Amino acid sequence: MSNLINFKIDGISVEAKRGETILNVARKNDIYIPTMCYISKTTPCASCRMCVVEAGGVDGFVLSCNTPPTEGIEITTNTPALELERTNIMKLYDVNHPLECGVCDKSGECDLQNKTLEFNVSRQSFSARDQFRETKDWGLIGYEASLCILCEKCVHVCNEVIGDDAIEVKFGGYSSVIIPKNSEVLDCTFCGECIAVCPVGALVSTNFKYSANAWELSQIPATCAHCSGGCPLEYETRHTSINGDDSIYRVKNNFEYTSLCGAGRFGFDFDNKNVSDELAFLRAKEALMSAKAIRFSSMITNEEAHILNLLKQKLGLKLFNEDARKYQEFMHSYSSISSKLHYSGSLDAIKQADAAIIIGSKVATDNPAVRYALTTAAKHNGAKIVYAHPIEDALMQNTITQLMKYEVGTEEGVMALLANAILADADMSESERVFFDDLDLGYLGAESNIGEEEFEFMMKSFSRAQNRVLIIGSDIISHKRSKNIAKLAAMIEKYSSFSLVVIPNDVNTLGVSLICELDADENIDAVVGYNAKGDFTISSVGSADFYVGALNQQEGTFVSVDNRVLPTNVALSYEGYTLNDLASACGVEAKNTVDYTAELSKNSGFKAVEFDKLENFLSKHGDDSRGYILDEIFCEANAELEEIEDLPEFNGTIIYHSNPVLQFNAYTNKTKQLERDTTLRGSAQFAAAAKISDGDKIEMTFNSRVLQREFKLDCELKGTIALNPTFDDALDSSRYRFEKTKIVRVV
Amino acid sequence: MEQFNNRNVSNEYFLVDIEDYPTDGWGKFKRVVKRTFRAELFVGLWVVLREMIKFDIHTVSYPEEKMPIGPRYRAVHEMKRLWESDAERCIGCGLCEKICISNCIRMDTKIDAESRKEVSEYTINLGRCIYCGYCAEVCPELAITHGGEYENASEQREQFIDFKTMLTPLEAMKAGTQLEFEGFGAITPHEDERVKKTPLAY
Repeated sequence: MSNLINFKIDGISVEAKRGETILNVARKNDIYIPTMCYISKTTPCASCRMCVVEAGGVDGFVLSCNTPPTEGIEITTNTPALELERTNIMKLYDVNHPLECGVCDKSGECDLQNKTLEFNVSRQSFSARDQFRETKDWGLIGYEASLCILCEKCVHVCNEVIGDDAIEVKFGGYSSVIIPKNSEVLDCTFCGECIAVCPVGALVSTNFKYSANAWELSQIPATCAHCSGGCPLEYETRHTSINGDDSIYRVKNNFEYTSLCGAGRFGFDFDNKNVSDELAFLRAKEALMSAKAIRFSSMITNEEAHILNLLKQKLGLKLFNEDARKYQEFMHSYSSISSKLHYSGSLDAIKQADAAIIIGSKVATDNPAVRYALTTAAKHNGAKIVYAHPIEDALMQNTITQLMKYEVGTEEGVMALLANAILADADMSESERVFFDDLDLGYLGAESNIGEEEFEFMMKSFSRAQNRVLIIGSDIISHKRSKNIAKLAAMIEKYSSFSLVVIPNDVNTLGVSLICELDADENIDAVVGYNAKGDFTISSVGSADFYVGALNQQEGTFVSVDNRVLPTNVALSYEGYTLNDLASACGVEAKNTVDYTAELSKNSGFKAVEFDKLENFLSKHGDDSRGYILDEIFCEANAELEEIEDLPEFNGTIIYHSNPVLQFNAYTNKTKQLERDTTLRGSAQFAAAAKISDGDKIEMTFNSRVLQREFKLDCELKGTIALNPTFDDALDSSRYRFEKTKIVRVV
Repeated sequence: MEQFNNRNVSNEYFLVDIEDYPTDGWGKFKRVVKRTFRAELFVGLWVVLREMIKFDIHTVSYPEEKMPIGPRYRAVHEMKRLWESDAERCIGCGLCEKICISNCIRMDTKIDAESRKEVSEYTINLGRCIYCGYCAEVCPELAITHGGEYENASEQREQFIDFKTMLTPLEAMKAGTQLEFEGFGAITPHEDERVKKTPLAY
């Protein structure tokens, strides 16, 4: 049976893939069918009925958005009858719609307005008694019920793409409204995706409301600088007040195909307002010339990483970045088995997967882009998702199908068991088979606390899956035995149909790990900190000895979790110096930072493409044309699996370093809109074990560091592991995220 | 065709008796000498003195006296208030700012205590304004209009560009002396009869 269906739309012969809808095919062939509620990334809402078409031999109209074509059928998209039908729908949409377009926040970017004009509805010919509809304030999101046209886009996106499932339609005919699900107020992760998809001004950003009109804002395409998801976004800037400098007013995204989390959408004002003078520049140059090492974070562009690497070569410095170094180590180890540099998976692979394992990441807060991809897979492909982690995550409960709760620290054992289950029938070499034959399954199972039946269940649920993905999070990368775990992951990728994704911790951890030759961090003198701690600090956030621009004031590229090199642009101008100025003064000369884009290491897969040649857009059919994907680089594979070490035990009160929703780092901490919850959150069980109670001021000791926090009881948590945020206090994010600690109550 | 070629629309037109201009140097010299010794200045002074004595004055004695300005005259902008509530008519839609071709209007809006859109700042740079009247035409609320104030001399540039200055004073509202603009964009007569009402069947 052929997978292509041939049929005609308006006399034009077109082809459809199996399962594709008429509307999709029409759009691909540039045939216009009007819609109000259709959104490409969800299943059809089918609430507007604007997309009706006539099909030859079928009585009545057909909804093109959710009907696949049959072989040879003739579709007509425009007849007087259809026109009348659609016009009548528009007339009904317009009944009692408040005529406040002049002040509406949509300011002309309104689907309803466009379609009303398109269908020439100039007066109201139906009537209905108007209802009282309350305006709701849900925190970052505001809901104006009187403007709502009940297209249900927001509900579908919230449920099918984000996975919060936080809003629903309260049905009641003409008095239907959108309400928070099972709650009085909106209780969600505040991604703001509902605001983005709202075709009218019903769901709006509370902060942006009434502050600017759409036409005044200039769009700057960029890449989100908060996590490694590499989400495309547009910063919208305008002069502040009537005479001030430019500032970012809001962030928009191509909601038809991509999603943004709340940090990207609401956390845009992290630009550095501090500017250094020439004196500071000279001091910075001196500090750099006499430095023994540079310690830096991964919140930098590839070009800056390249400059740092050149500085290392020129000045004989050491480069410290534990986060990227551990990632580098992990990937090296992975390459030593898989014989290639980059893992095979991507966000798209996750979206298309029907089976996924995610291990070692509290993904909903670590990397929302991966979470949304998982949600999409679960809701659209019915994907079976195994979530392996010591802590249950309430945010993921709608998405996952199996929770694999292992003991803290036993990641190596869990991976060995996973590999053993997945590779049971794999065609591998004799020596590799020996490794699995020698595994002490009983010991590993007992120590990691995962029963055999859990793996059996997993394999059974995966049995019919075509596209499988293994996703590895930062708990694994920072694990003591990460090298061996990387080899196990490589084995799974090599000998099974699983593709692999290794989530980088920070926005450009992956890029830095590919570009820089990093040294193990030591506690030495004369360290220059670049966005990190040091004896002389150069930073784009907080107070420092020398200031540079933040990531929304810079142009350059990142490498995202997709192994894609993504360009980002200058949203706000920065009047001060850049790292490139400093490097030029130290003998590593270039006119602009982006001159290095084409020079990035070819051995790591970068292409010799100049920055200005990089595209940054999605096509109208959603094809990603941003930047380029790293070339695959093959290398020698000569390593062998090591024996599994004895699994460690973590007892007593354990802290897991994990940020609350929408917070990632010092930059998100700086933004105005994002909530800053710096409390230690733990369950009642944890509180009992640590002998503390809700609201207590406590003191935690990690190795040599002492941290004071307030304790908050979180009823969604279970077990004896508490969550400690790291965004407000740069507690080295590269450390193994579970830590035993002593907790003392302070008065 | 004849009638179109004849541009003398009125019979009262007549040609002024003007001598031909001299073309050569000698002729020009003669003209200079003649003008110098004829004392033409005093002819003019005599005319003025004669008319003064006769008290037959044809001009307006500005600035004591001012000519009435047509309602459509476009001078310095005014911001109107609502007759019903004395509240500002401006809703902050930003259309005047958008349409302004000399880019001299700038406004900033915010959400106010009653969750309505409020204009927090509004300026018109009168130095750039070309008084084209587009802002008044586009205004959906008839809030910004042109007034009759054509005297733009001031010690301070800021004198005219302030929102508060342009806004109709409350006393004027109480006295009912706010004038409606009749120029471009204003409501035409008999508008009420042309409005179609929303059907309210209940």
